Amino acid sequence: MPNPTALTPYPATITKIDVEAGDTKTFTVVFDDPEIMENFGNQPGQVCMLSAFGEGESTISITSSPTRGKFLEFCVRRVGRLTSVLHQMEVGQKIGVRGPYGNGFPYEMMKGKDLFFIGGGSALAPIRSLIDYVLSDQYRSDYGRVEILYGARSMDDVLFKSDLAERWPAIQNTKIYTTIDRPEEGWNGHVGFVPPFIEEVAPTPENKIVILAGPPILIKLGLAVMEKLGFKDEQIITTLEMRMKCCLGKCGRCNVGSKFICVDGPVFSLAQLKEMPPEY
Amino acid sequence: MMNLAQQLQEQAKKLLEEKKVDLVIGFGQGTELARNTPVFIDSPEGVSALTWGPFCANNLAKYLSDYNNAPGGTAVVVKGCDARSVNRLLDDNQILREKVVVIGVPCPGQLEWQKVSAEIKPGSTLKEVVDNGDSYTVKTDSGDYSFSKKDYLLHRCLVCENPNPVISDITIGKELPVKNYEERFAEVQDLEKLAVNEKSAYWDKQFTRCLRCYACRNVCSVCTCEVCVFDQMMPMWVSKRTNLSENTAFHITRAFHVAGRCVDCGECDRVCPMDIPLRKLNVKIHKDLGDLFNSPTPGTEPGLISPLGGFSPGDPEEFM
Amino acid sequence: MESRVVNKGQISELLDKLAKDYNLFAPVKDETMTLFRRVSGAQDVLLDYNNSDISPKGCFLPQNEKTFSYMYTGDSLEINKPEGAQKTVLFGARPCDIKAVLTFDPVFEGVKFGDEYYSSKRENSIIIGLSCTKVLSTCFCYAMGGGPCDITGSDLLLTEIGDKYYVEVITEKGQALVDAYSQIFAKQDTAQLAKDKDELAKKLSGEFVRKVDLTGVKELMDNNFELPYWSGDDQKKCISCGICTYVCPTCHCFDIFDYTTGDFTGDRIRCWDSCMYPEYTLEAGGHNPRPTRKERIRNRFMHKIKYHLDRYNMVGCVGCGRCVIKCPVNIDITKIINDLKEVAQNA
Repeated sequence: MPNPTALTPYPATITKIDVEAGDTKTFTVVFDDPEIMENFGNQPGQVCMLSAFGEGESTISITSSPTRGKFLEFCVRRVGRLTSVLHQMEVGQKIGVRGPYGNGFPYEMMKGKDLFFIGGGSALAPIRSLIDYVLSDQYRSDYGRVEILYGARSMDDVLFKSDLAERWPAIQNTKIYTTIDRPEEGWNGHVGFVPPFIEEVAPTPENKIVILAGPPILIKLGLAVMEKLGFKDEQIITTLEMRMKCCLGKCGRCNVGSKFICVDGPVFSLAQLKEMPPEY
Repeated sequence: MMNLAQQLQEQAKKLLEEKKVDLVIGFGQGTELARNTPVFIDSPEGVSALTWGPFCANNLAKYLSDYNNAPGGTAVVVKGCDARSVNRLLDDNQILREKVVVIGVPCPGQLEWQKVSAEIKPGSTLKEVVDNGDSYTVKTDSGDYSFSKKDYLLHRCLVCENPNPVISDITIGKELPVKNYEERFAEVQDLEKLAVNEKSAYWDKQFTRCLRCYACRNVCSVCTCEVCVFDQMMPMWVSKRTNLSENTAFHITRAFHVAGRCVDCGECDRVCPMDIPLRKLNVKIHKDLGDLFNSPTPGTEPGLISPLGGFSPGDPEEFM
Repeated sequence: MESRVVNKGQISELLDKLAKDYNLFAPVKDETMTLFRRVSGAQDVLLDYNNSDISPKGCFLPQNEKTFSYMYTGDSLEINKPEGAQKTVLFGARPCDIKAVLTFDPVFEGVKFGDEYYSSKRENSIIIGLSCTKVLSTCFCYAMGGGPCDITGSDLLLTEIGDKYYVEVITEKGQALVDAYSQIFAKQDTAQLAKDKDELAKKLSGEFVRKVDLTGVKELMDNNFELPYWSGDDQKKCISCGICTYVCPTCHCFDIFDYTTGDFTGDRIRCWDSCMYPEYTLEAGGHNPRPTRKERIRNRFMHKIKYHLDRYNMVGCVGCGRCVIKCPVNIDITKIINDLKEVAQNA
């Protein structure tokens, strides 16, 4: 059944705000109507349209996994008009949420495989929903080894610090690699950009799926490295970002060729990406 | 004797062959008989696309700043009114004099293509246009058609101040007599006679139609801001909603923003898909600048300082 | 279905009645422009026109449309949606513009997400088409599968024959309307009028001067995204205005934003937007996937002749010729199609 009322957001309340970095906060949001919360049915990798009334809407990926509870988390970097307003909001304030939109990650296809996550900058946010899904008590046994390679510009820009340092490493059969662009006092980890770091870690392609997310430049360079390491196009999954207004495949602007990122994406395999014009 | 188009082609070829410029921006035949279109020629072989006639309405000076970062020079074909744009762009430091070659063509007036097109049998091919002084004869394979200038010229051409380009490195064709049109401000004077509420009603009716396609802004040769105030998101000065209030804010802001710089090329008026008489707004400002400061139309001479854009210690206004 | 006859002398009566019983949208003269407007009766309506300056797409997708209003104080929120559409008649639209509405349908009545605003208007509207009587030099509907007397998409199609309108009843909605106004839509022998209409259609189809042929163009596009053609004069002369998209009857892209009215209240608005604007795809972070006029022009024309076909199996152009007329720099879709065809043939 098509949802005809899709442009109207549901009222929701901000229940928690975590400061991730100087320009990034994670908002925990709960729908005012418990029935909507119960039946929202978000899948890892999907996105929502967040409304700040008086300012408009913006597409934000859901960074929480549905396995973590009946709430939604949105990790928001302050870059534009709407995100600046969101950053001024406080716990208890109302926003509007509509969704969930997009295809989400093909987690069924990933079952039985090792997973190698690569995230650059704020793009850890969209893949975190899948990381938490596959690492959940419920589904951990469905997946093999989980490795996460994450790079940020500086120590301050590292998102989900406690997830990376404590929560995820504590789960069995996981490995976390982190890097920052330039050396900094107090940082004992790797220093350098993400693409060469992937080459250094050199994941092997056997029975492995790579999930890659980052700014357009990282996607382009990262894909090249993965191909060099012997990964096939079907083994590489990425998630795209485009400017969106409706998220329903109608407003037109997020097309890449004949595909709309909002309804046909945002998740694509490299095999699918190669069928599309390089206009993202 | 070569016709003007042939002379243009010759000059363009020479400029390109001698590498004085890498690009010539001129007029070529459009997709309708009575229509020409901008062409961009980068090789001597391409110059045959250049044409000239009474269907060259576009102000090509608008494109010059697109080539500021090109390694070579750019030549541009201009009419008298467009030449004012070149002066203005130079004064605003939007283009570099040494990178631009101005090919000026004295212009006896441009026809409104849609009006002309409506009279000519569809599918005809243009053979030649003859200027008879008060009219043009358009010769086609389906016969000859006569168009009186009084009825078929673009409004702006009926009160043309500069039929001869005011800046030109190469002039093609003969200089034309300059007329002093007393009726230059007639349309504005008619509006001035209206009562305030009548004026308001007049403009409300016009602005209500506006689609906010921004063609008037984008075609304007003096609209050179990197980020336009109407495109800004933070803060959003004017909403994208099209209603009388927002549309009026757009048009009035724009008129004032180009006040003292508008060269009256009339392009905003020509391109408006909703036939909003935008030139009247600008001409009103020209008239006032003339009345109050004895200021000529911007761009008429190089180095003209706009009374609204200059500073003088002797200014009688105390707050200055 | 059946056909009827309306005497020209009764058109005013019909329009007056329709205006009373429905929201009536019809072509009117506004100074130099022909535009579709809501009218209160026959007196404003202009049926002797070639092609309106702006298509009647606004009847289904208004340039500005309130999707809801809100009252928001920070910790309280109330959302109120507008009522559904009222009964509407779109009168006197040309076959190309009506065909264009059909290209909207799969966009707004999608598989997964519908659009209550569009559907409500569509369901509550009756489209009364009006066959063309003249072909302009810019017309090319024949090349996009339409025609000056094409019935596609109309509920009723009127064709002017002498002092009568020949009325073809095409849908049940149309049938219900002619039955309700049966004193105007006369039951008569229409065999001769039907013949006359065929004659007119035949005559008009011979009057197109623009030769446009789509054959092979989509196939070329399928296999070639990067073509040197897109770096040519069109992207150099384009001024990035929104005219082509706003006058286009098949362009449906929109923006969504809030319009505050003060006192914690405001409206959420969707309004037409244009893929020719640089800001259209500009992301808040500064990245722009279509940063120059080249990418934007390519996207617009590819959308018309490939993307819309790929997605909905319909060409995204109906050949109304408005963009050809209104483009300030004479970017011409028929030239682009023909040029691409030449590229395809030489490939």
